[in-house]
Amino acid sequence: MTRLAPQPGEVVDRTRPVAFTWNGRAMTGLAGDTIASALTANGVRVVSRSMKYHRPRGYLTNDYWDPNGLVQVGDDPNVRSAHRLLEAGMAVEAQNAWPSVDHDLKAANGLVGRFLSAGFYYKTFIRPQRLWPAYERVLSTYAPGGRIDLDTPHRYYDKRYAHPDVVVAGGGPAGMAAALAAAEAGAGVTLVEHDHRLGGHLRWGSDADRAAANELAAAVEQAGVEVLVDSTVTGRYQDNWVAIVQRSHPVAVERLIKARAKVLVVAPGLIERPYVFAGNDKPGVMLSGAVRRFLNLHSVRPGERAVVFTANGDGDAAAADLDRAGVEVAEVVDAGAGQELIRALGGAKSVDGAQLGDGRRISCDLLVVAVGWTAPTSLLNMAGDRPRYDPTAARFFPNAELDTVLATGGLVGDGSLDELVDHGRATGELAARRAASVAHRLQAHTARARPVEGDEPELAPDQRPPLGRDPHPELFRSSTHGMVDFSEDVTSKDLLAAAAEGYDSIELLKRYTTATMGPSQGKLETVNTVAVLAEARGETIEEVGTTVWRPPYAPITLGALAGRVFEPVRVSSIQPWHEANGVVPIVAGAWIRPEHYGDPAAEVRNCRTNVGITDVTPLGKLDLRGPDVPRLLEQLYVNRWSKLAVGAVRYGVMCAEDGVILDDGVTGRLGDEHYLMTTTSSGAATVWEWVENWLQTEHPEWRMHVTPVTTAFTSINVAGPRSRELVRRLVSDVDLDPDAFGYMQVRTGRVAGVGGSFMWRIGFTGELSYELHVPAGHGLHVWEALLAAGADLGVAPFGLEAQRIMRLEKGHFIVGQDTDGLTKAPAAGVAGLVRLDKPDFAGRPELAWALDDPTAPRLVAIQPIDPAEVPEEACQIVREGTNEIIGRITSSRLSPTLGRGVCLGQVEPPADEPGTELTVVMTDGRRVTARVRAHHAHVDPEGVRLRG
Amino acid sequence: MERGQVPTFESPVVKQYPAGVGPLTLADLSHLAKLSVRADDDPGFGVGFGASRTDGGVLVCGQRPGEWVLLGSPAEVARVSDGIARSGHVSVIDLTHGRAVFRLTGTDASAVLEKVCSLDWSDPMTPDGAVASASVAKVVCDLVRHDVDGRHSYLISCDRSFGQYLFDAILDAGAELDIVVGAP
Amino acid sequence: MLLVPCPHCGPRNSADLHYVGESRPRPDPAVASPEEWRAYLYLQANPAGWLRETWYCRAGCRQYFVLERNTETNRFRQPPVP
Repeated sequence: MTRLAPQPGEVVDRTRPVAFTWNGRAMTGLAGDTIASALTANGVRVVSRSMKYHRPRGYLTNDYWDPNGLVQVGDDPNVRSAHRLLEAGMAVEAQNAWPSVDHDLKAANGLVGRFLSAGFYYKTFIRPQRLWPAYERVLSTYAPGGRIDLDTPHRYYDKRYAHPDVVVAGGGPAGMAAALAAAEAGAGVTLVEHDHRLGGHLRWGSDADRAAANELAAAVEQAGVEVLVDSTVTGRYQDNWVAIVQRSHPVAVERLIKARAKVLVVAPGLIERPYVFAGNDKPGVMLSGAVRRFLNLHSVRPGERAVVFTANGDGDAAAADLDRAGVEVAEVVDAGAGQELIRALGGAKSVDGAQLGDGRRISCDLLVVAVGWTAPTSLLNMAGDRPRYDPTAARFFPNAELDTVLATGGLVGDGSLDELVDHGRATGELAARRAASVAHRLQAHTARARPVEGDEPELAPDQRPPLGRDPHPELFRSSTHGMVDFSEDVTSKDLLAAAAEGYDSIELLKRYTTATMGPSQGKLETVNTVAVLAEARGETIEEVGTTVWRPPYAPITLGALAGRVFEPVRVSSIQPWHEANGVVPIVAGAWIRPEHYGDPAAEVRNCRTNVGITDVTPLGKLDLRGPDVPRLLEQLYVNRWSKLAVGAVRYGVMCAEDGVILDDGVTGRLGDEHYLMTTTSSGAATVWEWVENWLQTEHPEWRMHVTPVTTAFTSINVAGPRSRELVRRLVSDVDLDPDAFGYMQVRTGRVAGVGGSFMWRIGFTGELSYELHVPAGHGLHVWEALLAAGADLGVAPFGLEAQRIMRLEKGHFIVGQDTDGLTKAPAAGVAGLVRLDKPDFAGRPELAWALDDPTAPRLVAIQPIDPAEVPEEACQIVREGTNEIIGRITSSRLSPTLGRGVCLGQVEPPADEPGTELTVVMTDGRRVTARVRAHHAHVDPEGVRLRG
Repeated sequence: MERGQVPTFESPVVKQYPAGVGPLTLADLSHLAKLSVRADDDPGFGVGFGASRTDGGVLVCGQRPGEWVLLGSPAEVARVSDGIARSGHVSVIDLTHGRAVFRLTGTDASAVLEKVCSLDWSDPMTPDGAVASASVAKVVCDLVRHDVDGRHSYLISCDRSFGQYLFDAILDAGAELDIVVGAP
Repeated sequence: MLLVPCPHCGPRNSADLHYVGESRPRPDPAVASPEEWRAYLYLQANPAGWLRETWYCRAGCRQYFVLERNTETNRFRQPPVP
């Protein structure tokens, strides 16, 4: 057992042991442990295998960013074991190792490591291309990452929006001070801490550090700051749209917060940087922070005998901590005094010594490295900053002044705890003042907001005294080569080779070698990558520049991104009846509609012989009112509208400005200045916006209003030779005599006692039919009344499929099915509707040109010669004896009325001539002959039925 | 049903829920009369876009530039509608059957809305009486903050066909805050 | 997410709006040549700098409006009153 005696700052609870398993082996940790500290306390040193070479790896940084600490926990892959807290019963397993992390056969890769150098995959698996599926199958077994369980249920992941005045990213001393000062200045503050507790580096520091952290944390809570721990600001987007992932939440597994922050304070602190030297990825090589967290937070002994290579106070502190904890410190190698670390000695599974610049070899099982810091400027990058390198301090610093994104803490400079806190406080005060300016602007410009007094305050000037910069030696690579990117197994040698091959710009080098592109995402390896490239180019780091950090700052689970899934569904008032009566539903857009009730062909036959009713509520309906409605109709439809009488209905086709058919439908005139326009179900929203666009931008002088009333009415189509008889039984105040209420007429009245209803005679199905539009709160009542009243007439419901069959038998096209994004009005066979004598209407110029175009495909009715053949929709039509495509089938069904296949299709002239024999390629490859018909209608081309 | 007899109004919320009492409630008010009034200039409501006011038993909402929505009992809405100045081009459209209306009430009502809607529900940005339109659980809705007895309360209305979906989506969002279905 | 200053509602998330496109006058359909008409339909100016654009406040006030946006900074300004 490597657990130390109780330490003053420890976060583990020794009274609460926690049982878990590691690769099936039972182990025990303590409440408060991370998986990493529990494993280390149990003597585990090798926790993973590296991505490419499958080299044994142990903890390097012992924090969220540890490149070696990804494990599988139950069905959860890629868990960051140095961050995730241990829970009772956790089944923890190593990833990327087979058969086990201790004996990994794929480590053979390491033997052929020279073949896996930079660009290996690109160069090796590119040819022959036909073998790629085989390569992919093999490579995927070598790829890192855990195991995905496709049966894992989608648990309660959640999202919410927030509008905080100030978001502080980072809960170290400067971040806490900023949050506190901003809250004291009256701002609403959200403080986001990546780790499980506030405090930052103070938590594993001295007694005084911990006392200061606790004091600040208490003050922050006291000030009413919303504190989110185990949460990360993963991105800053346009206008301070800030994404926060809350990994710990009382109800949700995770919650994604979309915050519109008035000011964002960036205070992530610094991330310790690894050192490049031979053997630097052997288990037992650790950064100073890793060691201090093991010792001081979790009271775990990371080794028995240590060598400490230090260039700064943190390395010195690590040596002191080790000594205090009883770990023998064999040697402190002082980089500041010019001492060098050359290589880590030992086998693959553990370090057993350190070779120094003076040639000495010192035995140890723990090699601690402290060579400096990487500034995680990610959120500033996302706000447009391009940080600059300072060779004196050996790290990058922010470079831009941003109005509503402010940085504080180690990111912007060095100082004593008091100096960091002072800078944080000044930043918080400035953030609060600037947030007040933004809040004033938002409130003053938002219609619904409470009126705000006075002018918008000027943005407060930035008068913060800057933090200093401590000098630090530039230490990136020793005289030997080692790992630069631990996640991706990229060495300094690989980088130099790639640069020699010509990939010597940092952006190219990164993509070619994949350095910085693994799970660490550059947090550890970016600066070393740049430094090695600078070495190769004989330039400074500043001259080479760096890559741009983009979102996310830390990985986001797919669950958090998905959140609760909103899939709006629309139903008509009759839906409860449909569901209770054996409907087979179909999803059309957001609508759930009846597809059929068991036998669509029977539904068609009943309509053709008796009477059927169908729920057509999704049909788009726009209420148009005002004296200028006729002008709008003339403008949007290609056909003539001015002489539509009150009580009349007309069919119209709308084209977009490119002449392509946009929608079609009928519009009826209900009153002198009152019209009802119908659209296709899928086109309802588009047409509404199209109308508004014309009214608002082109003709604001027109006096009319448009209001969508699609579901204000339940729409029921009553179709069939006995439909008049049925409707007559429920309607008493409208004369239904065909001479009084003819085809393409509209009447208003009561249906089954429901006033405010209207009905019109149209013929989409080709039958005598009445479309009833009744106020939706009574829609179900009218539907049931129709069924009850028509029982002796053989009334039966029919669904969308029967409706589609009947309209195809009748030769009516459907916009978007029989037409496409290139189909102009003449091509759909409605050239006769286009009235070029109107001076203007949408799409007029293109239609004028299209009417003269003899080459465009034409929509025609088609019947296979063999009546048993029913081509599938989208089957191609080819020139006989060739594969030259000259058209396609757009609609096709077996007609229950005719007992044969009937189709619509688009074909190129001259194949559209009636009587032309076409070759249709069936889905099974057979070619069948079909003939072009003279008329779109397969059934009743004279229209006797619907006019009855 | 006999001819001429007016059937009862059926709400788009057709599922049955156990009636509950609690500090956070969602109630179905779809039976309310809803009238949309369109006009270039205020036809005498005395309220502009983004605000609302009460006229007897009717809530008059400045819903959009040039559009007012009236909510209330049919008789009361008819009374207010009869008083509209009809000068200029004014359209009055009855949307009683076209819209679902819910009332979300409770101290945590804003917290529920924050889970389904991107607007800022803080007092300065959305004071009592404020009117807005926005996407709620991916459905475009009209919203009015209309507090009840000093408690936060919002009227949420959407296209009738989305009613059942939206009712359930709000209940789901409020589950962690112990929302219950209240009496209309 | 872009915050678009709707002149009626106030600043709104761009997801609440529909981006209609570059704002250009519609040629007179009675006299427009194919070249003019198709330039209107298909050709975008796409400048680096200020651009007139039409937006539709779909989830909000349902108004169409024109704003100028700087394509390099995503800053908005009201277009000059004609």
